Amino acid sequence: MSVQKINERPSGFRSVPVLTDPEVAHYPEFKNFLVETFELDKDPLGTPGILDVDGRCYELIFVGRSGQPFPAAIEIAALVEGLEPMDTEQTDTDLWKIMEWLVQGVGGRWTIEALRTTGKIYRVMPEGIE
Amino acid sequence: MTRTIADLDPDIQKRYPYKSNFANVNGWRMHYVDEGPKDAKPVLLLHGNPAWGFLWRETVKPLLQAGYRVIVPDQIGFGLSEHPHAASAHSLDNHAANLVALIDHLDLKNIFFVCHDWGGPTGLCALLTRQDLASAVAVMSTWAWREPSSDFHKQVMPWLTMHAPIVGPYIMGRQGAFPGRGMYLSVVDREKFKTEAMNAYQSVLPDPNDRRLTWQWPRSIPVSPATDIAGDRFEWLEEGVRALNIPSCVIWGREEVVFTADVFAPKWHEIWPHAEGTHMVTGNHFLQEDSGYEIGELLSDFAGRNLS
Repeated sequence: MSVQKINERPSGFRSVPVLTDPEVAHYPEFKNFLVETFELDKDPLGTPGILDVDGRCYELIFVGRSGQPFPAAIEIAALVEGLEPMDTEQTDTDLWKIMEWLVQGVGGRWTIEALRTTGKIYRVMPEGIE
Repeated sequence: MTRTIADLDPDIQKRYPYKSNFANVNGWRMHYVDEGPKDAKPVLLLHGNPAWGFLWRETVKPLLQAGYRVIVPDQIGFGLSEHPHAASAHSLDNHAANLVALIDHLDLKNIFFVCHDWGGPTGLCALLTRQDLASAVAVMSTWAWREPSSDFHKQVMPWLTMHAPIVGPYIMGRQGAFPGRGMYLSVVDREKFKTEAMNAYQSVLPDPNDRRLTWQWPRSIPVSPATDIAGDRFEWLEEGVRALNIPSCVIWGREEVVFTADVFAPKWHEIWPHAEGTHMVTGNHFLQEDSGYEIGELLSDFAGRNLS
């Protein structure tokens, strides 16, 4: 797994929304990890967070909602070059890797092993993960 | 686009051969089946996550044969009802209020509420809101209290993991795990389910945005203080159902693994000492898939003895 935070959004890429979670604080430790990783407490409405997943980039857009701690929601968008179609199978695999990066980063009782077992039970784990 | 039962795969129509009806409930388009004489005693069959009225297809038959009016709504967010994308549409309060609106729209009286899964919290909230219109109630694989008694909902794997931020929308939204594999794992006769029913559940939730409620609804189960977004409503609900004194019936699946019979059925009898049952049938969580007709016979028999 190679998921890394990078600082600059590559130019010439369009943003394709691929996953939205309106309740990123459903488990507060997930939200806290994202706040720390992207320093959202310092600059909550700055540029989106960018993750490089094996050479492909994804934008993490943090969304606020009145009356709730920031961020309340998250939108993940694939950065796709020009007007080329997005490879959805690759995106599924990359999203899985982002989830593994997330649970590993959050730590504690959240583990890649539990995520993979859950994925196997429901047969939703993309090929090539292990 | 508004779809009706007549627009679905012919095999689904054959198994659920009823007329589609729609009502405006709190601004949303709710699909429902309404069969039997309009002046007959009404039986309201309420499904949960991620089902729709199709789940009750075999249960409907004995009730109609016995002369009841049978009403089967698709909860907003499921089946042929509208699938709102706004997260705030899917609070327990809003879904319960949608059922209240349907009851008012149809001007139902002397209602026999039959509640499964999330049809329990939503349907029983609606019942308490229109208590003077309720004549009897039956529950199966459901609950009506703040904290689920089942260890299943407290386990990291798979329950808590599959509802984690980002993970939930991926597994159940993007990949559609719940109307397919999730239901498949929660019936007894899996091959029969795969052949006769799975397509009916998957085809009405074709896109990730249609499947929002499949991952958002379980997040309303208060498994910890941080996730307790409906706890006050559940407390109100439990207090209300404990005070309810109408004919009651408990039906459960022997093979239920989520709301296990040994824990949940006794709790219902503790809440309602006067309740009939527990009638045990062959069934896992979606017990109607394995014993739908038998459940219909049990309900019809119970109604015949208890509805005034």
